[in-house]
Amino acid sequence: MADSTADMAAGTAHAARDGRGFLARHGNYLLLVPGVIWMILFLVVPLGMMVYVSFWTQTTFSISSDLTLQSWITFFSSDTYFGALLRTLKIWLYVLVLTFVIGYPTALFIGQVVRNKTVQTVLLVTCVIPFWTSFLIRVLAWRPMLGVEGAINILLQKFGLIAEPIEVLLFTELSVVIGMVQIYVVFMVGPIAFMLARIDESLIEAARDLGASTWTIFRKIIFPLSLPGVVVGAIFVSVMVLGEFATASALSGRKVNLLGNIIVTQVGSLKWAFAAVIGVILTVIMAVVITGLLRIVNLRRAL
Amino acid sequence: MLELSRVTKAYAGIPAIDAVDLTIRDDEYLTLLGPSGSGKSTLLRLIAGLDMADSGRISLDGDDITFRPTHLRNLGFVQQSYGLFPHMNVFDNVAFGLRYREIDPVTDDSEVTRRVRSILDLVGLGDLGGRMVGQLSGGQKQRVSLARTLVTEPKVCLLDEPLGALDANLRERMTVELRKIRETLGVTFMHVTGNEAEALAMGDRMIVLDRGRLLQVSDPDSVFRAPRNVGVARFVNAYNILEGEVSDGSFRYRDLRFPAHGAPSGRASYAIRHDAAEIHTDTAPPESHASLPATFVASEFLGSRFFYFLRLPDGTIFDVERHLSREDPRRIEAGTACTVSWDPASALVFDAQGARLGDDTLKGAA
Amino acid sequence: MQSNNLLRTILGAYTGLFILFLYGPFIVMGILSFQAGPEGGPQFPIIEWSTYWYQHVFGLTPPSRVAPLPIGEALLRSLTLAFATMVVSTVLGTLTAQGFRRNFRGSGFVFYLVVLGMMVPGVLLGLGMALVADQVGIDRTWWGTAFVLHVVYTFPFAFLVMLAIFNRFDKSVEEAAWALGVPPGRTFRKVTFPMIFPGVLSAMLFAFTLSYDEFPRTLFTAGSDVTMPIAIYGTFAVEIHPNIFAFGVLTTLFSFALLSVYGVLMTLSVRRAKTAAVQEEIA
Repeated sequence: MADSTADMAAGTAHAARDGRGFLARHGNYLLLVPGVIWMILFLVVPLGMMVYVSFWTQTTFSISSDLTLQSWITFFSSDTYFGALLRTLKIWLYVLVLTFVIGYPTALFIGQVVRNKTVQTVLLVTCVIPFWTSFLIRVLAWRPMLGVEGAINILLQKFGLIAEPIEVLLFTELSVVIGMVQIYVVFMVGPIAFMLARIDESLIEAARDLGASTWTIFRKIIFPLSLPGVVVGAIFVSVMVLGEFATASALSGRKVNLLGNIIVTQVGSLKWAFAAVIGVILTVIMAVVITGLLRIVNLRRAL
Repeated sequence: MLELSRVTKAYAGIPAIDAVDLTIRDDEYLTLLGPSGSGKSTLLRLIAGLDMADSGRISLDGDDITFRPTHLRNLGFVQQSYGLFPHMNVFDNVAFGLRYREIDPVTDDSEVTRRVRSILDLVGLGDLGGRMVGQLSGGQKQRVSLARTLVTEPKVCLLDEPLGALDANLRERMTVELRKIRETLGVTFMHVTGNEAEALAMGDRMIVLDRGRLLQVSDPDSVFRAPRNVGVARFVNAYNILEGEVSDGSFRYRDLRFPAHGAPSGRASYAIRHDAAEIHTDTAPPESHASLPATFVASEFLGSRFFYFLRLPDGTIFDVERHLSREDPRRIEAGTACTVSWDPASALVFDAQGARLGDDTLKGAA
Repeated sequence: MQSNNLLRTILGAYTGLFILFLYGPFIVMGILSFQAGPEGGPQFPIIEWSTYWYQHVFGLTPPSRVAPLPIGEALLRSLTLAFATMVVSTVLGTLTAQGFRRNFRGSGFVFYLVVLGMMVPGVLLGLGMALVADQVGIDRTWWGTAFVLHVVYTFPFAFLVMLAIFNRFDKSVEEAAWALGVPPGRTFRKVTFPMIFPGVLSAMLFAFTLSYDEFPRTLFTAGSDVTMPIAIYGTFAVEIHPNIFAFGVLTTLFSFALLSVYGVLMTLSVRRAKTAAVQEEIA
């Protein structure tokens, strides 16, 4: 360079990368090591083990590590098990759609109609409070609600809306769906309300000034902008519903068997390989569902 | 003495600091001027150890500190945003370094108290030790931040735009105080700023940085009078710079020619200092002057100085600065046609690479 | 505008109904917990209002055909487990989030690895862990196999909370401390930690609550000494009685107590700075 003066020391020696330099550059990784190791040992290894065991040979009383496809064949050739797969998917779809349909208006109210931050927080906390009761007890609380002598039937009869109690309410797929929707709908409301509350009000005002109707504004602005919230909510709900078994066993009187229930039963009777097959199938479904949902919106960019 | 040699740093492949060589002497006030994005903050962070250089060497009193962690460098760093600890009062903020530093912490409470008191007195905050930092004004925060650093007696104190967040009044006062405090303690200050007036006024020496390269390192007077590079002339904001060509020993700007003796032919920049130009409305410029036709636009009164703005035929604004001690302000109607003139010997010519022609310091270097 | 106000009113009314839907079973549970005992069942009508089932929970009623809930030890285990989980996952979450404050190669991989912990359905993880324990030949215990899974589940939450906290954290404060000669570890203890404490408290609250109520991961991994949710699950198999409702009401009250403690701590930590300032002023 032409403009070096006497003030500027010459020198081209590159400083050696000594040990301290290494630590200063890579010390960061040390912070991550405990968490990563924990997750690999107790998350990746168990899941890998599940895949591995699904190919083991299962006999009535024991299991051996000889690899076989037998458990897989049994699963897909059995009406009971394949039926459970279809039932799981069906209930998941019902719950997903219902949590969205039921939850969206509430989220719309919290995120768009109420523009006061304090009131928004109060409403959201109100929705979250039931979570302070044990999940299992909340599920059980549906029994006196839905039963033949349950609260709903009593109320409907009092108001003269029905003559005979509705029996289909409890110990059916319907009761399972009702229970799940109530338990998981908040996971849909939260993220959507969050995204709706972030929408810049001037955007909507501008659209209104341009003469857009309320419906057009909703369709063209509000809904697209809330979509990342819908996707996050849908992921939450899907993950929880697909792995569900407690609600089904509490509210269906063991008549509705989901994949989760089968896993529990199989583990109970020490049929590890078979439980593992179902576990792998659930994992695959889950992966497909989440990837599919993530295709709708680029979350990293949207959030 | 802090020495940087061939220090280089790139972010995502884009060089922020490009092979910088620099010596920072003991007991001096050094200012670093650069436009935003010139890499001045990066350079400061490299010296402080908050970022690590990709290559090159930084040494302090002969020790290689290129990769030494910040807390072992014994350099002070005063941030633009102050970085005060919000959960502590002023006293604890200032005492923090003394109490908890790795090298040579002060364990004796009365000694800590003595030192903190004396530094707080020095920066004029003697009675505010018990305040929480949230209750301080901007200027007070600035002083706490400074006191907190100075109490640890660093070898070099790096100041990142220390006056940037202060209002004009306070800025003026702090300018004087910073110099006074520095001289009292005899510590080296390296003061980074984007404000040319600040850099010129405060530094014993001054560095001009642009696009990660040092354009000039010298005393502020030389930077101001003899910028070694057209970039420097631009940053000190005291020159009218015309772009044109040199041929046959004269600078050609549009259809005009100004003498430029000894300049090699080719593209060039021609700089006329604001206060070297004169405006003529009815009289003709002196015979020896070079001149340009211009249109008067406006004037601005700045205390002891007057600024006149004129527009050249190509639309460029031409500034003329006159001191009231030398002449009375003139009233000129906007739109008046006039002539600006200057002594061609006072003009500077820069070659196509931006280097000033006739710069003696060039010879022997490189 | 007219139609807009109508729309707002409808949405408001709908939200009211929605909240009723969320609280319905809860209210019914509260009412039924005051059912007469031991002959009254977990359904309407209320035979007679009584606190019999509350006494039953605490073992204060004479023995009857309804077995007492196996809660004593299970509750203690659940609390211990939740506490340990809270500590470990908050530490891990804070460390990892701290690591994420600098860009590094492989950050995407680590991020998804951690977040996977909250995404994988509990029953799968429980199954996988049970398989591993079976193969390795270790006993399945609530303080071993169940504990590590609880951390796998709650660590991502703590991590995300801390990540959000650090995103808003002014790094210049830490850099100032380093430049004063204070080593990074001490800087973290003296500067960073006090400043992020409210966030840490939230992460702890998250972790504790999730672990305390955790069920699918625990089912296969807790072994014979069960936790509270497993004990409740055990009552599914047999007939349910209002004692479970009484217990539900009690745990809810307990949760509220915990939430209050959290609220008080939060308020205190926010106010401490101000109070300290005022005291200094007076002194």
